[in-house]
Amino acid sequence: MIFNSIEFFIFLLIVYFLYWFVFKKSLKTQNILILVSSYLFYGWWDWRFLSLILLSTIVDYLVAIQINGNDNQRTRKSWLWVSVIFNVGLLGFFKYYNFFVDSWVDMVSVLGYDIKSTWTLKVILPVGISFYTFQTMSYSFDVYYKKLKPTTDFLSFAAFVSFFPQLVAGPIERASNLLSQILKVRKFDYRQAVDGIKLILWGLFKKIVIADSLAPMVDDIFANYSTYPASTLILGVTLFSFQVYGDFSGYSDIAIGTAKLFGVELTSNFKFPQFSRNVAEYWQRWHVSLSTWFRHYVYIPLGGSRTSKLKSVRNIAIVFLISGFWHGANWTFIFWGAFHALAFIPVFLMGRNTIYKDSVVAENTMFPTLTEVGQVLLTFGIVTFSRIFFRSESITVAFEFINKIFTNFSYETYHHPMGYRMIDYYVLIFLFVLYEYLIRRDERSPFKFKSRIVRFIIYTIVILCLLLFYDSGFDRSFIYFQF
Amino acid sequence: MKKLFFKIFIYSILILLALEVYIRVFHLTKDYPVRYVDEFGVEKWLPNQDGFSVTGNRRQNFSEYHINNFGYNSYREYNPSKDKIEIALVGDSFIEGFHQNYYNSLGKKIEDRLEGKEVYEFGYAGYDLADQLHLISQYKEQFALIDYVILGIKFENDLTRGEYNIVQKRMVLESPLYKAIRQIKLFVYLNNIGVLDAPKGLVSKLFSNEKKETPKLTKLEEDKRRKESETKYLDNFKSLINTYGFDKTRFVFLLDSEETPEIFLNHLNENNYKYIDFSEAFKKSKKPPILIYDMHWNNNGRSIIAELIANYIKEMKSI
Repeated sequence: MIFNSIEFFIFLLIVYFLYWFVFKKSLKTQNILILVSSYLFYGWWDWRFLSLILLSTIVDYLVAIQINGNDNQRTRKSWLWVSVIFNVGLLGFFKYYNFFVDSWVDMVSVLGYDIKSTWTLKVILPVGISFYTFQTMSYSFDVYYKKLKPTTDFLSFAAFVSFFPQLVAGPIERASNLLSQILKVRKFDYRQAVDGIKLILWGLFKKIVIADSLAPMVDDIFANYSTYPASTLILGVTLFSFQVYGDFSGYSDIAIGTAKLFGVELTSNFKFPQFSRNVAEYWQRWHVSLSTWFRHYVYIPLGGSRTSKLKSVRNIAIVFLISGFWHGANWTFIFWGAFHALAFIPVFLMGRNTIYKDSVVAENTMFPTLTEVGQVLLTFGIVTFSRIFFRSESITVAFEFINKIFTNFSYETYHHPMGYRMIDYYVLIFLFVLYEYLIRRDERSPFKFKSRIVRFIIYTIVILCLLLFYDSGFDRSFIYFQF
Repeated sequence: MKKLFFKIFIYSILILLALEVYIRVFHLTKDYPVRYVDEFGVEKWLPNQDGFSVTGNRRQNFSEYHINNFGYNSYREYNPSKDKIEIALVGDSFIEGFHQNYYNSLGKKIEDRLEGKEVYEFGYAGYDLADQLHLISQYKEQFALIDYVILGIKFENDLTRGEYNIVQKRMVLESPLYKAIRQIKLFVYLNNIGVLDAPKGLVSKLFSNEKKETPKLTKLEEDKRRKESETKYLDNFKSLINTYGFDKTRFVFLLDSEETPEIFLNHLNENNYKYIDFSEAFKKSKKPPILIYDMHWNNNGRSIIAELIANYIKEMKSI
């Protein structure tokens, strides 16, 4: 059941009705409803993997109680390791097992031994495993670091782990934010519900109009990169930049908007990363919940930046490499992470990694300065270049793609694989960037205009665009579901 | 909560109205001409209608149609006589040509290639051979004056029946309910771009009794089934020819031999039926002959067909 499907729409209506009208009076029954509907939502893909969520929930629920109940630091740590080993073990088996086997076979063959691997397994990757394992682990970490008291309410904890709006692709919530809301009585708030609907609309726009409409071109260019000139390859990776942003931030907006309908506030996951002025700012704006997770549970425990420069650089490199690996069991993602580490470290060494933390481009003016324009374009260029690794099938393909850009520079007009007018898409991207620039100060209010008429016209244009770019024959699942 | 529902209701209505306005102003969806069955039992368009045919979400193909006095899409009126040379094109939506401006139709392209000849287009979406021969027999006086009659035929679509009946499924589209629905351009647009496919699919899934998937056929079974239908279609062809007759001196088929089974081509050859085959010409074309958004011939495709027909007529005249 994906957000942009009729099944989800009907499911949402039913759950919403039951939540606010039937189970309104009891927090417990509301949480049971969240749990049941979340399991139903997840089971729609493959009910067999519900057991993994349940196991992960039970383990971290018990681990947290054990950690909290022990004063002995060594015992506490041992319990924390139980959580880490279990969750990372789950990920390791379902997501990385074949990667490790294949890599080992490749490494051995480089050394001259030709072995035929019989160890690889036909393992299906459970949807959202990287997200919910990280979420449950964060709970155990927070209890371990004494930032949180564990809950004894198993049902509420299970609802926190499986909360359907953010179950399969985040935002990865910390218990201090989401669990605390699930444990409290939620009241219907008109303003919150309206904001939720607006975010859902904007998320659908980003997913259907931006991501899905660009996908055929990106797929075509990456599949046939060897036949295209450099200009087309650059176009392909640039379009992919917009596609992946539209897809993932669209999903996050729908998730946040849906949660709002149930009186729950999720953390922001995207803050207009395309207007970042350096790579460090980009990581404060792109997939924020994952960056925050790595900062809190990997970077800071390693010493963060409160250590020698050399160690800090090491810590940054570790975080980016793990982050890359988190995205997928492929060397392409590790290279992608390494590339970002290389782009981030100079910014860190120059002490510019936090200078844009609390500001946006053209903070107090309508137009950005020329310097800002240059910074934004450079950052966008770096990030877009890194996406060659992110999108390519293999590391060999990624390097061939890059090689073709640099060694065979020529221009040729690109034609849409289905023959559609390309100008439609260029205009669409231009207007999209322009509109996001106008709303860049608040990622949670995409229609923040004073005039009701202006707002209404924008709603209708957004919905019209949904129709103009809707493709009934297109596979509409989300890119980040594979992670 | 009441306020939320009230506002959602109001906004939904206003948004639907705004979308209806946008779709009408930007002409995002097609017009539907009215169809009827005339006094001779021939289904065709109600005479003297004008409108636009639109394909794709973003008006990727946009053309104008004009239904003439006779009830077919054409820039000219039909007045056959002994003094002139006329060519009739009879067929389905490919001949009808709603996908191209009526003033640049297949008939017009043929006329441009054959000076002084008049081309009458009897194209109607869904016409099969039974419809075509029934039309010719009902208007036999007019058709007797026409010098060449080209019948567009696609074996797998146009020979599914061996006798003529009015197709009620098409005429249902003229019921008051359908007519009323077609007035809502937003609905027409949503339906045409496939937005309604998902809810329709869901409803049919919910209410469908068929739970089992159709079993996959083996290649042998598929071949057997194909042969059976080919034989049946050929029998239908023979039956229609027996019923309506076929003037081999004036009538000629227009077909794609690549899409036509050998059994039918052999039958045509053995019985001296003439046909114009556009398969080779389409294959040789450097530009695509088919529209991007549907399977109909584009401008290039129509030019190729026009060229073939014009050459055929020239050849026939010289004989």
